[in-house]
Amino acid sequence: MLTAVATDFGRELERTEKDITDLRTSLSAIPQDVEKGTRLAYRLYHRACLTGILSDFGAAAAAVDDVAKRAGHQEDLCLLKANLYFKFHRLPDVKLALHQAPALLRRPEGKVLQADIDFQEGRYQEARAAYEQAIDEDRTWDNLARLAHFQFKMGQVAEADDLYVQAEDELTAKEMRSYAWVELQRGLLQLSRGRYEDALAHYRRAESGYSGYWLIDEHVAELLGAQGKYAEAAALYEHVVARVPKPELQQALGELYQLMEEPDKADKWHSQALETYLRSVDEGGVHYWHHLVDFFADVREDGAAAVAWARKDLTLRDNFATQAALAWALWRHDQFTEAAAFMDRSLASGVVDARLFQSAGTIYLSAGQVDKGERLLRQAREINPHLDRFHVHR
Amino acid sequence: MADHNDPNAVNSIFSDIDHSPADLYDLFGFPSDDHSNGESVVIALTFASVPEAGVLDSDMLYRIQIAAHPRAVKPTDDHSLEALLKYLDAVKSKYLGELKTSEIRVTVDQNQSVTVRFFNFPGGSFASQIGTNTVEEIETPGGHSIKAFIGGRDDAFFNDLPGFFRSINYAPQFYHVPHTMTEARELPIPKTLLELDGNDLFNYNPANPNHGSGVKLDLPPGPWTWNGNKFKKDENGNYRFVYSGKDAQAGKNVNAIILEIPLAFITEAPAEDRIVNTWGESWVLKAAHKVESIPDDPFWLEHPFALIDAIRLDDELKKYKLVDTDGQAFADAALSEREDNRQLGANNFWLGPHFVKRLAHLGWGFGPSITALGLKCSFDHDNSPVSVHKTYSSVLAAFPRVKKTLFQTLNMPDNSWNPKGLNIPLRRTFEVFVPNVCAIDMDTTGTWPFGRRLEDQVATRFLSLFLDMEAEFNGKKYHVDLLNDQALWDAAPIVPKTPPNPLANDAPFSKEFPYLAKAW
Repeated sequence: MLTAVATDFGRELERTEKDITDLRTSLSAIPQDVEKGTRLAYRLYHRACLTGILSDFGAAAAAVDDVAKRAGHQEDLCLLKANLYFKFHRLPDVKLALHQAPALLRRPEGKVLQADIDFQEGRYQEARAAYEQAIDEDRTWDNLARLAHFQFKMGQVAEADDLYVQAEDELTAKEMRSYAWVELQRGLLQLSRGRYEDALAHYRRAESGYSGYWLIDEHVAELLGAQGKYAEAAALYEHVVARVPKPELQQALGELYQLMEEPDKADKWHSQALETYLRSVDEGGVHYWHHLVDFFADVREDGAAAVAWARKDLTLRDNFATQAALAWALWRHDQFTEAAAFMDRSLASGVVDARLFQSAGTIYLSAGQVDKGERLLRQAREINPHLDRFHVHR
Repeated sequence: MADHNDPNAVNSIFSDIDHSPADLYDLFGFPSDDHSNGESVVIALTFASVPEAGVLDSDMLYRIQIAAHPRAVKPTDDHSLEALLKYLDAVKSKYLGELKTSEIRVTVDQNQSVTVRFFNFPGGSFASQIGTNTVEEIETPGGHSIKAFIGGRDDAFFNDLPGFFRSINYAPQFYHVPHTMTEARELPIPKTLLELDGNDLFNYNPANPNHGSGVKLDLPPGPWTWNGNKFKKDENGNYRFVYSGKDAQAGKNVNAIILEIPLAFITEAPAEDRIVNTWGESWVLKAAHKVESIPDDPFWLEHPFALIDAIRLDDELKKYKLVDTDGQAFADAALSEREDNRQLGANNFWLGPHFVKRLAHLGWGFGPSITALGLKCSFDHDNSPVSVHKTYSSVLAAFPRVKKTLFQTLNMPDNSWNPKGLNIPLRRTFEVFVPNVCAIDMDTTGTWPFGRRLEDQVATRFLSLFLDMEAEFNGKKYHVDLLNDQALWDAAPIVPKTPPNPLANDAPFSKEFPYLAKAW
């Protein structure tokens, strides 16, 4: 279904599928060919990045393991493994993969991955310094985008947008998907400030640059929801979910139907999302733990379950996001003092985010810290005056 | 809370390095043999045939720059490092200052209609639209006629590339080398023309004859060094050549921009400006400007001979990213070590000191091989009996070794290169590689290093830099084509008995424009 439409996305996916088929054909003749095996693993990873489908990532991981059995801890395989694990929040495995080929930690690719780990584990200034150094040494679009994301989280909106513009300037016409992705980030930056028209302009630009990408539709659907255009948003979400059955998108669609007061539809999508989340957990995945926190805290409003998932997620990645998620789960579970304590830790990161401040304000008010709570709620509204509108748990 | 906004979400890391239409292969330049309309210069820029031979990529802009000037009257006799640095400085001033550069830009639209724009020529600036894969005549405002062919042809480069890579122990040609492992490209083994005894990583293996020519093995764990002390010899006392003489480019296609331009269009003083320097560049459209891109401005089509505002030109290039440059054959491949950040085009002045160090590094490898064959070498390797892996951090230390290689005049095999019998000085190595341009002498045939003709075996001529041009073989001074001489190899204790690279292209060149053979 993803390949059916003649779009930039469809064409890229089609090319990738063809490469995969050709490589598999070659490998069936010479299965021990490590270079082709590695190439196949990378192409499978590329396909997974395009589709976002979990099973495609699984196929890539299996291919990596298959080649690694024969080739050992080759640097490029370890790098691919590290990137795969990073996508699924398996930070200990990321570190292991990097250490299996120790030279990787001296390479630009390994250094930025280490910086990403620092960010995920709450060593913010180390991450920032490493991003800046990476840009000095290797001015690539993705290094610029990493620092932009950091600045975005720290509330430096103008600096972040400037860095995203610089990242775009490094991209050529041969990298339009990456360009579209950067435009989506610039749109999200505007969305976080409640500037819907500006966000839409970036999303449209992303679509002009790289047509047919479900990720753009998904962002537009969120924006339509935030603008109160629920029916249009739901229609677009339905379309996206049909193409890419990701549970987090199903959850978003369910929340939208909840707002539209269509409980049956909401329940249908929420149930599907939960089923996939839990199946992933049963299979040993940790990727959806933080989605489960959001799901139980805000969809099911089941504080105890939310707290349980949040505590697990915190053991995985102790950062502002997981601390805030646990704080919110504890609030939902009426444990206001501990919630406030975790929110203190989250805010100490220096992150400036309207939704974080809104949650913090609510928690502090419940915990009896009225001045602090009111100040944070005010700040949240100053950052984004449309904070109560529909949004996605990214 | 968001944590999925990292670029890993789309960045597929370097899974594949695809062939790119930005990958420039060769720049040929020589005076046309056709004088029916006065003197003309032929310039051919070749590049990867992507998306396919005869089909050009609409995101690309190809730029050919041209600067004509008189031939230098008397070269310096001072062979010191100071003289070399002074030369580099003078070239820098010339290229960054006084020299007037004209240029040609080529773009193609989605319908494969080619726009060729000429800027800053004495006759003005103008544009023309032509088709692909056909010979076209472009009429200039001043009444000149420029021949143009833009499209797919046979690759005019004939070369034993695997042999070259074997000579420099370039692992990615022979082994699966992860892209991250930049230190595992040229392995720290002496460069050589003769196989080293015990160099199992790169020596020819009869049990795996295609290793390095399509077959790659897993790179064994290091150290990737060589601890031997002699060249390999067979039971008959013959050395084993790293080259095979086979054409690795046979049957391959390129896309090409081929132009035949009247000299009187390039310069107002064709009688004085006898040297035509040219170099090529590939630029790829930036992503942000692809979104904004619109069809070619109708202004161009309606007023093709209008003069163009120079500021606007700069604005155009700001929309593109420079990817590759090509001027002098082997300046990038052998001396710049193929590093992207050294793709400077003509403006390679700052690489001058690097060239000295790199040439010394190559000299320690190739020099002893040449001596072992009984030939005289221009590089001072202290009569080393075998190739040595040596790198330099200091130009001062390297210079004395390469002094002769840099300053010696490069003899030609006969006088056919100078059909008018003029007093034209022979070229010297340092003049050939800096600046990184194809310097076409219009009073010569344009054979390398007086330009580059299609039939020139430049890879083998590059190796001749390490020959002592004062020595003689069979009663004749060494020259740039000596290593193409079969008699030399027949007499040498070596197998296979072949010149390093093929002597001719797989597909014969045409005597008619566009000269390169048709695509396969």
